[in-house]
Amino acid sequence: MDGPLPLALLAASLVFAAVVLVYVALGRTPDWGLLGFAGVIEAGALVLLVVAAVQVGDADLAGAAAITLFGYLLAGLVLLPLGFAWSLAERSRGATAVLAVAGLTEAFVVVRALQIWPS
Amino acid sequence: MSATPGPTPGSTRTSTRSGAGRVLVAVYGVFALAATARSLVQLLTKADEAPLAYGLSALAALVYVAATIGLAEVGPQPRRLAWAAVGFELVGVLTVGTLTVLDPELFPDATVWSSYGAGYGWLPLVLPFAGIAWLVHTRPRSSADSV
Repeated sequence: MDGPLPLALLAASLVFAAVVLVYVALGRTPDWGLLGFAGVIEAGALVLLVVAAVQVGDADLAGAAAITLFGYLLAGLVLLPLGFAWSLAERSRGATAVLAVAGLTEAFVVVRALQIWPS
Repeated sequence: MSATPGPTPGSTRTSTRSGAGRVLVAVYGVFALAATARSLVQLLTKADEAPLAYGLSALAALVYVAATIGLAEVGPQPRRLAWAAVGFELVGVLTVGTLTVLDPELFPDATVWSSYGAGYGWLPLVLPFAGIAWLVHTRPRSSADSV
């Protein structure tokens, strides 16, 4: 959790949201490139969850804080799939913009997990 | 969450989950998920510390879940549910926001509506207005209706 992974995930999520907003502005619908980008973020979120699970034993985290941490990390795992499911059911700018919400929320979740993790 | 084909002709304007409504439902969904999870953690780990604040968190979570469902489903009943939830949400954020500004000691632990939702980027204050505007914008109209 102290390595570059959380920050890379945070940056990738923000870039993803920005790319989605460009898609919205241009009136483009989500394509395989966007899905692949989300897949990379998803893999990062999964690795972060595993890393946190491995390291949590040595970390100074009380019960409630640990529950909250893994709540955020699990949320980070389901956000993008749920976002795509809700977004791809319709073809409109609003539907594409849903992915920006998912990306920004993903970034927020990583920030919260970092705040909870004792450094 | 149900994947349905595009809206049928005639229902386009009255569907709260199409177009911009899709983003609104997504944002409400995030709040419903976050408020529910937060409330569960509070109630399960430290319910006796601040019963009023945590009870309020649970109530807010229910309101966000109801608003999400109301806006995401199509029909008169979900629309009524959405109106009720969004209206309650507006009253809630204005009441709790005002109370917490006047007397910060009232709620020892922050709720989503404390200080008009300042801790959540003011989104809790903006959302009910957006919800009401969207419900008005998509309200069913009589058949003789020019776009």
